[in-house]
Amino acid sequence: MTLFDLAKKNVTGNFRSYLLYFLSMIFSVVIYYTFVSFQYSPEVQMGIESSNSLLNIFIGASVILILFVAVFIFYSNSFFTKKRKKEVGLYSLLGMRKKTIGKMLFYENLIMSAAAIVIGIIFGTFLSKLFTMLLLRLLDSAVEVGFGISPEAIINTFIVFLIITLCTSFNAYRLIYRFKLIELFQAEKEGEQAPKASLVPALLAILLIGFSYWLGFQSSSSDLELLLILGLYLVSIVLGTYLLFRFLTIYLLRFAQKRKSSYYRGINIIGISQLLYRINGNARSLTIIALLSAVTISAISVGYSFYYTNEVQAEKDSPFSYAYISSDKEIDSQLDKVITSDSLHPVIGQTEIPVLNVVGEVSNPLLQDYLEEGPVKLVSESTYNKALEILNLDGSVNLSGTEAVGIQPLLTEYSSADYEGHTVTLKTPGSEEKIRFTTMAEDRIIPWSYPDFSVIISDELFKDLAKQLTPIPIASYEVEDEKTTKETFDELNKLTEEGTQLSSYYETYRRGLETAGLNLFVLGFLSLVFLAATGSVIYFKQLTEAHEDKGRYEILHKIGVSKKETSATIRMQTLFVFGLPLIIGMVHGAVILKMCSNIFSALIGTNLTVPIAISVSGYIIIYLFYYLLTINSVKKIVMK
Amino acid sequence: MKTIVEAKQLKKVYGNSGTVFTALDGIDLTIREGEFVGIMGPSGAGKSTLLNVLATIDEVSSGEVTIDGENLLKMNEEDLSAFRRNKLGFIFQDYNLLDTLTVKENILLPLALAKVTTAALERRVIEVADKFGISNLLEKYPYQISGGQKQRTAASRSIIAKPSLILADEPTGALDSKSATDLLETLKELSEEDKATILLVTHDAFAASYCQRVIFIKDGRLFTELVKGNYSRKEFFQKILDVLAAIGGGVNDAL
Repeated sequence: MTLFDLAKKNVTGNFRSYLLYFLSMIFSVVIYYTFVSFQYSPEVQMGIESSNSLLNIFIGASVILILFVAVFIFYSNSFFTKKRKKEVGLYSLLGMRKKTIGKMLFYENLIMSAAAIVIGIIFGTFLSKLFTMLLLRLLDSAVEVGFGISPEAIINTFIVFLIITLCTSFNAYRLIYRFKLIELFQAEKEGEQAPKASLVPALLAILLIGFSYWLGFQSSSSDLELLLILGLYLVSIVLGTYLLFRFLTIYLLRFAQKRKSSYYRGINIIGISQLLYRINGNARSLTIIALLSAVTISAISVGYSFYYTNEVQAEKDSPFSYAYISSDKEIDSQLDKVITSDSLHPVIGQTEIPVLNVVGEVSNPLLQDYLEEGPVKLVSESTYNKALEILNLDGSVNLSGTEAVGIQPLLTEYSSADYEGHTVTLKTPGSEEKIRFTTMAEDRIIPWSYPDFSVIISDELFKDLAKQLTPIPIASYEVEDEKTTKETFDELNKLTEEGTQLSSYYETYRRGLETAGLNLFVLGFLSLVFLAATGSVIYFKQLTEAHEDKGRYEILHKIGVSKKETSATIRMQTLFVFGLPLIIGMVHGAVILKMCSNIFSALIGTNLTVPIAISVSGYIIIYLFYYLLTINSVKKIVMK
Repeated sequence: MKTIVEAKQLKKVYGNSGTVFTALDGIDLTIREGEFVGIMGPSGAGKSTLLNVLATIDEVSSGEVTIDGENLLKMNEEDLSAFRRNKLGFIFQDYNLLDTLTVKENILLPLALAKVTTAALERRVIEVADKFGISNLLEKYPYQISGGQKQRTAASRSIIAKPSLILADEPTGALDSKSATDLLETLKELSEEDKATILLVTHDAFAASYCQRVIFIKDGRLFTELVKGNYSRKEFFQKILDVLAAIGGGVNDAL
């Protein structure tokens, strides 16, 4: 029997005990490959070439992912090796040569890794397909991203994992040389040193994180400078976070230990000491979880912000589902028939909005600059109020005489203060009329066109002016589920001529979605990948630890710790492992978000509180699901 | 004197219809307060099963067990945990110390679980550690101390909450003779001076010779019982060896 055969037999024979290690390797490959194959898809490649911000996202994301993969595999590998020290000691005791054992372990690791890479790539292909389909469905195929099997992605994955595999295999080879025989036999008994609190690295952690945040807000003038900042940012945030978990948490736990009255009460003593005992091993994974969370949170938030902003902007741009200038009775009735016969999108309300285009001059220079030579679009108070009612919006106005309310032009940040007290001199062919703004309204009711300067005037005045000028009637319809009115819109489009100026919410929404599409897709994809990575690292880590802790819980059971107390301490320890990185990740994420909102021009000037709050809560809910799943699995392992 | 353990007609059957193995076959056992009782017997005689039943971590198939007036069979999982914590102390062959805790924390664990005040708990730890001569090791971790010291730590933990019954499962099994003698002497002292009730399961005739009474079991049944009475420890040791020779199998196991 050759050595290779023996190694092969080892793997196949003990497959059960190898499973956890093997699975975690496969998982890393799946996640990394999914990311890379996405990165190499032609659409994304094109996007990267044309956009620096996208390139930065990909650089940052791949650095964090490689870090994740390396730490994850090394962690599983060291756990796995620890489990096998006794077996290795036995081979040595039975007289096998050190070199032979080393080679055997080397081959063994190599075989498993090779298998994991192949399986991982296969699953990764499926996963990227799945993610793509999921996202395309969400975006209603506003983007086109094809997914084939990309040779570059396979090569990239192969190289990265080859390096990692060689490292772990070499590590396995050296196992027999690193330890004395006696140490191999005592592997499971050996205690880890209880960590000491030290001030310098703890302070350094705070300093590094502060520095990275400061870097995050620096602007750069050239590409090189940008890359430099990005590199420094990544190094300092990764290192700072690691030191934070490695040293600052010791202070936290030591502090908890010093408070004897609570430490010596019930099961606190078990939970706290166990966490402290684990800090060395935990620090790495907590760092990874925090960084992954940060990236996930910011990716989800930015992605969703695009989506959300688009929706809000579209709603402002085209307040009604359909609007067209009614001119010809026959066409009008045809259009009306098409809209009302669409049973999937029943009409909520319809109205005709007569608009008077009048040349005017505003007394506020700021507004006059915006208006230039364009016409002032006048609507009457009652029309405005009726439109708001159909659109289900509050904020109706009540005017008399020459009072007027300005409507905030789209894509501006004018406020009531810019309007209040100012006047507009309306120049009709026969006369001049001066109206005075009482305030500004935010809700628009007619489709956008430049310059977007609409003013609401009193009914009497509108009636007066309408005698001199002919109002343009805009037929407006609001229907249910207006995002999906493609068919009806196409049909309407066929019926209308140039002059009708058909506008629809669907078209505006769609256009926005297509513009933001790639960004949206990239960010959505990244969040899915990182979400999967975060979940797997936490889950596998807690599972391996649970196997290690089994003996301790057995002792506790014997000396009278009840199941309830055991559950409580598991919950508490798991909460620490989940909660701390989540908090750090959220703070990191907030800074990254701030940076992103400066990078993406589409997000400048919009209020992102709502989409960010929704994204973060969504993330926390998924995270909570992982938390419950983990507790459940740990309990199963520990309490049998 | 008060009866601590009262077991009647204990039966324990493993397996189902096909292959049945009877571990305990109608054992009766009575232990009074302050007694130091040894249980001996060849491998497979049912010693461990008996101990596990008394330790409430295994259930009998039939029979009755009462410890300190409480019927074990009528308790649910939650009650049993509380019972173990409040009424029983354990010393195991492989120590069963938590490597994440210092010696001091290991010792005070039962009191912490019982939510005793910090001041009372600290006082008690010093008292107990003093008794076992490990006061200078309190801040060390289990991996930093010797086997004998570990076992004394475990013994300290077993008595700290002043349990009604201390169960010792081959406590000297992994110790050198000096450490073993020290531990046995201390256990004897505990029973004589502090009226601690101790049940010692062992293969080792030397360890058993420290007991006041030794019960021999074979094939799940009571074989015989020896009482030390006025014999010297050496004479008692010899008598134990004689019984073991009669049972067969036991002497070889005792090394």
